[in-house]
Amino acid sequence: MTPAASVADVCIVGVGATGSILAKELASAGLKVVGLERGPAPRLEDYAVRDSIKFIARPEQLDWVKHEPTTSRAKLGQTAELRYRTSPLNVLGGALLHWTGQVSRYLPGDFKLYTNEIQSGNAERAGADLTGYDVIDWPLTYDDLESHYEKFEWEFGVSGRAGMNPFAGPRKRGYPLPPLRHSAKMELFAEACSKLGYHPYDTPAGILSQPYRPPAPFDTRIEERPACVYCGHCNFYGCHIHAKAAALYTTIPVAIETGNFDLKTSCKVFHIDTDGSGKATGVHYFDPDGQAQEQRARVVILCAFVFESVRLLLMSKTDDGSFANGLANSSGYVGRNILAHGDVRAMGLYDDFIVNGFIGPGSAAMRIDDFNGNNFDHTGLGFIRGGTIGTSGDGTPITRMDVVPPDIPTWGKAYKEYFTRYYTRSFDLNMQPETLPHKANRVDLDPRHRDRWGIPLPRVTFDFHENEHRLQEFMAGVGEKIMRATGASKVWTERKATPNRWAGGTRMGADPKNSIVNEYCQTHDVPNLFIVGASVFPTMSGYPPTATVAALSYRTAEYILRQKQWFA
Amino acid sequence: MTSTTNKSPAGSFKVLNPAEARILEAIADRIFPATETPGAVEAGAVNYVDQALAGDYGRFRSLYRNGLRAVDRHAHEKFAGKFAELKDVEKDGVLSDFESGRVQSFKNAADFFDTVRCHILEGIFCEPHYGGNRDLIGWHLVGFPGQQYGYPDAYINKPVDLEPVATVEPPLEKK
Repeated sequence: MTPAASVADVCIVGVGATGSILAKELASAGLKVVGLERGPAPRLEDYAVRDSIKFIARPEQLDWVKHEPTTSRAKLGQTAELRYRTSPLNVLGGALLHWTGQVSRYLPGDFKLYTNEIQSGNAERAGADLTGYDVIDWPLTYDDLESHYEKFEWEFGVSGRAGMNPFAGPRKRGYPLPPLRHSAKMELFAEACSKLGYHPYDTPAGILSQPYRPPAPFDTRIEERPACVYCGHCNFYGCHIHAKAAALYTTIPVAIETGNFDLKTSCKVFHIDTDGSGKATGVHYFDPDGQAQEQRARVVILCAFVFESVRLLLMSKTDDGSFANGLANSSGYVGRNILAHGDVRAMGLYDDFIVNGFIGPGSAAMRIDDFNGNNFDHTGLGFIRGGTIGTSGDGTPITRMDVVPPDIPTWGKAYKEYFTRYYTRSFDLNMQPETLPHKANRVDLDPRHRDRWGIPLPRVTFDFHENEHRLQEFMAGVGEKIMRATGASKVWTERKATPNRWAGGTRMGADPKNSIVNEYCQTHDVPNLFIVGASVFPTMSGYPPTATVAALSYRTAEYILRQKQWFA
Repeated sequence: MTSTTNKSPAGSFKVLNPAEARILEAIADRIFPATETPGAVEAGAVNYVDQALAGDYGRFRSLYRNGLRAVDRHAHEKFAGKFAELKDVEKDGVLSDFESGRVQSFKNAADFFDTVRCHILEGIFCEPHYGGNRDLIGWHLVGFPGQQYGYPDAYINKPVDLEPVATVEPPLEKK
């Protein structure tokens, strides 16, 4: 091991959406920032190819996936099996490289589930069984994040129309760009929803509807990017023209340009170091040659996504003293209450309408929030909360070949007739029902499987419970009803939910006894250690986490920059 | 072992031997048959599978080896013939037994069937540089215009009047 280099002001572990925003903000203010990213820097030819075998059929072969698996099981006590995942994309710039681009601010009520749902008596009126759940409020409000949501929307470029969604929280400024061009799916869905009395709106999309460069007062150093060409190779693909909002070609180049950001890729952090006084002193990592190295820093920020942030905290436990259960884990809550949407779907086929669903992007979608959050009366429904409902079903034949109605065989002449006729005449509605924090759902260290460095893999234990089962069933029913109202000739549903969009594990809260970080993503136990990302969510929403994750990153950067005494 | 060299391109495969290729080709033809339009065999799906087994799908080699042998064995037990020489309805009977896992001598039957079905379909609809989707047969069949740079029109309720295209180039025209 080579001797420790000089002390950085800030060491960022993981340079994806959150890490790159923090790097840009902190380095621009003059702090010396080191960024350690376990994945490589992708080249254009690695990600800008519209190749459905590479990205849809064989994602486990991607360099960015195959080296960092987790293990997975549904219940405590089971043996966990290896699972390759595409959600923590182990590449510079992270999952923004291949995300769908659905940019939704959380609803104001999404931050106060304990107050709004339990204390208010709402859960009781609904007749929900919340045994085993562990619901707390966020220690901040929608208003605390409003300006940071705005900053994300205007720096990365978001297409949408303010005022269309009657359930959305208040906003000071509209979207920088008009909505994306409407597809057949969107038109069919909007018409059906209006007929049913719902309130369809254009999904705010992190995909440019027009060429865009952030205007002042936002970060004008971010380069202009072109408008989306609707190629349709979007969700799970890198964008071939950079119309998709990704860190790789927005925040990261600006951070590097400052001259204050020392970016090291293919560097795998394996330990967070602490001293006797209980402060973080830096990290240890394996460099690209596999040599262990030390990076000292005044502040350490974990931006490593749900699984890895938990793993690092647990790996960094000390033999005795306050970190014997893992770093920042005096509460015992590190790894607990992980969350994921339980998506269910409704599919429709059309005899008399050509949908051409492969024309993208996936986030050119209409959506309703009539059944999201607490936007509808839950009395007697047997569950609390909800989810958004929107159009999906983009994709090449490789993506769509397993979308088959239950009464059609999945092979043979009948399958061929079905797929050749309906590939261009079908689409889906995607329901994203929220999941409540449950005590059994967690990440810890796997006792059997290790990675190529010999470090135990993160073990994910996750299952849906009673509230989710009831909510998912309800949402599938609503989706089915809307799909019928679109005039589809045949409608069917996929009601078995699969976990999607992970969050939780190092939740934020007002009480250090049952949470890991405070409202500034600062750990309760270690004042110069921060954790930024979806892992800090104590509860989720029906929306994807990305906009909120980005807003928290900007807010945390502001907080750190106010602590001038740390860097004097 | 019957030689198949003058019936199929089996001799040119990297992983599959001629007998295996012949069985797989017969399976492919039942999974996505040629009708009045071409099917999996014409699209080169077997070639796709062979190329995949030689690379990214190397971990499936023994499943294929054992599975293809089990298909012929089951064909013998059930219909006293080689799988590739059975009538279509008999072939479908054999494959249905695999699909539902009702093959006593091969416990991975259902897994094998799912894997083969998936790979054969991939071979029909893949980007052609993976060895399948010959002449873009798969994309023509379903009306998918391929790796278009983009779509200037939303094509709402009308067919896309563009010839399918394939490319291996990242098309970004920037530095």
